[in-house]
Amino acid sequence: MKARIIDRDDVLKIADLLQGQGYDVIAPFRGRGRDTFFESISDDNRERFEIHLPNPYYPPKSFVFPHMERLLTVRRSNGDLLIEPTYRESKRALFGIRSCDVAGIYHLDRFYLGREYRDIYYEKRRRNLFLVNVVCTIPGEDVNNECFCLCTDTGPAAQDHFDLQLMDLGDEFMVVAGTPAGEALFTDSMFKRGSEAHREKRIAILNEVRKHFKNTTSWFSATVRYVSQGAVLDKTWEDIGNRCLECGGCTYVCPACTCFTVSDHQTGSDEIERVRIWDACALAGFTRMAGGHNPRRAVHDRRNRRFFRKLAHYFIQRELSMACVGCGRCAAVCHGDVGMPNVVEMIRRASLESDAHAD
Amino acid sequence: MAHRLTTCTFCGVGCGLYLETSGNRVVGVSPSMSHPANEGRICVRGWHVHEVIDAPDRLTKPLLRKNGRLEEVTWDEAFGFIMDRLKAIRDTHGPDSIAFLNSPRCSNEESYLLQKLARAVMKTNNVDHGAGVYSNYALNVLLKMIGTPGTTNSIQGLDRSNVIIVSGVDLGRQLPTIGGRVIRAKLKGAKLIVMASRRHRVAESADLFLQHKPGTVSLLFGAMAKVIVDRGLMNLPFIRSHCSSYEAFLESVRDCDLLMAAEACGVPADQIEAAALDYARAASAAILYTTGIEAREHDSVESMVNLCLLCGQIGKDGGGIFSLTEHNNLQGVCDMGMLPDRLPGYGMVGDDGARRAIEKMWETSIPHRRGMSAKWVLSHRGEGAVRAVWLCRYDPASTAFISEAGESLRQCDLVVMQHVFLTETCKYAHVVLPTAVFGEERVTFTSTERRIQIADKVIDPPPGIESAWQQLIRVARAMGADWKYNSAADVMDEIGMAVPFYSGANYENLSHDYGRQWPCTREHPMGTQFLFAPGHPSQSFTFIPIEKPAQPVVTNDEYPLTLIFGHSLYYWHQNVLIKHSETLKREYRMLLLDYPDGFVEINTSDAKRYNIRDGEKIRLRTTSGSSVTAARVTPEVMCGTVYVPYFVGQVLRQLQVVQEKGVQLLPVRLEKEAA
Repeated sequence: MKARIIDRDDVLKIADLLQGQGYDVIAPFRGRGRDTFFESISDDNRERFEIHLPNPYYPPKSFVFPHMERLLTVRRSNGDLLIEPTYRESKRALFGIRSCDVAGIYHLDRFYLGREYRDIYYEKRRRNLFLVNVVCTIPGEDVNNECFCLCTDTGPAAQDHFDLQLMDLGDEFMVVAGTPAGEALFTDSMFKRGSEAHREKRIAILNEVRKHFKNTTSWFSATVRYVSQGAVLDKTWEDIGNRCLECGGCTYVCPACTCFTVSDHQTGSDEIERVRIWDACALAGFTRMAGGHNPRRAVHDRRNRRFFRKLAHYFIQRELSMACVGCGRCAAVCHGDVGMPNVVEMIRRASLESDAHAD
Repeated sequence: MAHRLTTCTFCGVGCGLYLETSGNRVVGVSPSMSHPANEGRICVRGWHVHEVIDAPDRLTKPLLRKNGRLEEVTWDEAFGFIMDRLKAIRDTHGPDSIAFLNSPRCSNEESYLLQKLARAVMKTNNVDHGAGVYSNYALNVLLKMIGTPGTTNSIQGLDRSNVIIVSGVDLGRQLPTIGGRVIRAKLKGAKLIVMASRRHRVAESADLFLQHKPGTVSLLFGAMAKVIVDRGLMNLPFIRSHCSSYEAFLESVRDCDLLMAAEACGVPADQIEAAALDYARAASAAILYTTGIEAREHDSVESMVNLCLLCGQIGKDGGGIFSLTEHNNLQGVCDMGMLPDRLPGYGMVGDDGARRAIEKMWETSIPHRRGMSAKWVLSHRGEGAVRAVWLCRYDPASTAFISEAGESLRQCDLVVMQHVFLTETCKYAHVVLPTAVFGEERVTFTSTERRIQIADKVIDPPPGIESAWQQLIRVARAMGADWKYNSAADVMDEIGMAVPFYSGANYENLSHDYGRQWPCTREHPMGTQFLFAPGHPSQSFTFIPIEKPAQPVVTNDEYPLTLIFGHSLYYWHQNVLIKHSETLKREYRMLLLDYPDGFVEINTSDAKRYNIRDGEKIRLRTTSGSSVTAARVTPEVMCGTVYVPYFVGQVLRQLQVVQEKGVQLLPVRLEKEAA
């Protein structure tokens, strides 16, 4: 990968370059309090652009896999049915996507495009998406209490799957190209060659920021093993299930969750639209079958499904990617504090206790 | 795309959330991390609120009944018809032949103008909201005992409670954001005491779960008071400075026998003692219950407030009484005077001083006789007196709680319905006025923690569609009133004059931060996080002696089980908004798919004893009647009880249940019914 150095003041010029290429450039902006969300950069909000701020809670997966998306319309016309798919193909650039979310989009790529069936709706959105990753370097802004990308090996600096990566070195930014499309931007004169000192500074900053992760759930890999072997106690799953209030939030905010449901809506006297909507394994109706049988009727059966899907070796091997990227959103969204970091901790404690009993 | 902060309008928590729009369509929703009520959490309803806004089958044209069918007409024709009929009915039968009812989901502005239309223009006090039938009782008790009809503390304050008592309410299902707050408070070290007849999700996290027999709430709290008095753990300095009727209360407590009470409640005495000691010794302890029907259980609210006063667990952060509202604006609707006997700000209509103050402001007279309640209007048209009913977003035909509502409306000469959808009640409407929906108008709601907040406009309503409050202004003007409001903000300015504790709640002030908690006055515009901090408002409380706590229902060999009628638990299952989200419809109607003919719930061990399988047909027999329904076998209901969700109207009718004060409990027996 090639790297270049730019002046701090030139960061937004990269957005300008992308806009010049016809991209709608979308970046996180501050709302009220600690809230942030993605919006298109425009003359109106340009002044408010910040590189370091809390990662938006609403995940950028919505740009390739929207909360609610129209798939097609069916219209009756002269005794015939006209079926028209609705694709979204406009060019969009995510400017300031965090490393965990880059890994999330890579996971969605593996799921939606990496297997025998390619999802055409996803593909058309994804093909037109340009990713400008920002490395998380400021504790309290970029790195919050829930982050645990150190454990999932997805951050604070993504190693792959971005088009361009920006890292704050103080007065300057290091820019790394991850794809030919990213590298093509380096022809602009603002990109200067870096030195060994820049490289050393990058390493020093990353070493420092790694110390500021509060949730270094070091048991993450052990949990993968426990879950894969089916060694987690039923009692632990029940404890986890008892704290789930079945809101579905953990799935909706997860950058790597892929589930959806499809439904048809009447939109006119002779027209329906087919939409797909995010769905969640926490909800009882998700697994209920038409005849009324529900293989996951009890809430803890639904909860452990989530963690099997994310951590069991079978799934990791199937997609060559793990469906947890360490963003910590599920911990922030959870009513009963059974997001991933806490679940790892509960499994660790229960295992230690049962070991103690075995002695 | 754009993201706008607004407030969720499903339940009373009032979570802050962002609506994502694309063009004029709401395409997504996400919680606010910073909003103090939810801090990043919302429940399954909030996560799908965008689907409701985006529902394709909403009404966009006014409908008028012609030859028995509702037909699309022009706005002029619809309003013209309403005016002619309203005037004719008023002139022939008098103003009290007209009633104005709304849903506890209506905005403050809508509610204020609706009761003003009734009182100032039509000259009747026949105004009420749909939840009044059960919640007005809880409200009146609080007014009597602490002088303020609402939750005294803040949801966020539960983080600072040392002890939390949750009585009755299934927070996980009904108010999940508060349920989560309680679970997390417990994880951080608070002691959680759950008291309920049903086992529910939050109970699983409890340090103490007191599963008591139905109908014994006041007995249980009375027994706790007895323990505290016997141990001398009363907060006497607090009681002496701020409370009246203490001696009389003490007298009633002395009559209580702990062991007998424990026996009657079905809870071990040592558990009652442990709960009482935890509560009394805590630096700050909160009691949570809902204003739903469960709160109507005889003397239950009185007994909880008594306990709170006895220990002085009020007027401090982390303590207090949480009188939780299940509807998003139940608090605001009451604050606005959508009550047959109370004006905006809770002054009684019969109180000359209170009435004159409002009359002076409105520059017109208002009647002094209390009006009819919604239940009275919808049960038998107020014994035939009511000829016209105005319904603002209220769908009584879907709530079997007043099972004769449909029949009563059918007999009316005029039924006007303001709603977004063609609800069940529209069957009886002469005119249906489609209104703007959440997200299409800038109005305010008041949450269960007294938080007055603006729900923002993020998209435009369809062409021709106005807010319900704008339609009310049209009607008032056509009836000759000189109403000059250009915006909802103007209405709020007037509310600030009518309701003293809203005097600082103008839109400019409310648009900062996350709204303001009342009292929000000109002197204290930042609002009030918890009530009764020294001097604000002043502390003056009254004990209510509970003469003889109600005994639970007496069962016998012939009728060995207790039948419970529950209202709140499955409230959302029949709700019209829920039906307009694919996911919510699936989740909430699943029980109705599993049990298509309705169901009653029985405990797993009772099912075993009577040899009844899940889904099997059973006959319920009481002394007054019998009914056939399906059994839903679940460990959630208490052994020895049968739970009837309110929407099984047929069961209610066949058992001839009389809806009176107090919770409905009947001795019953179960019989297998041949399929």
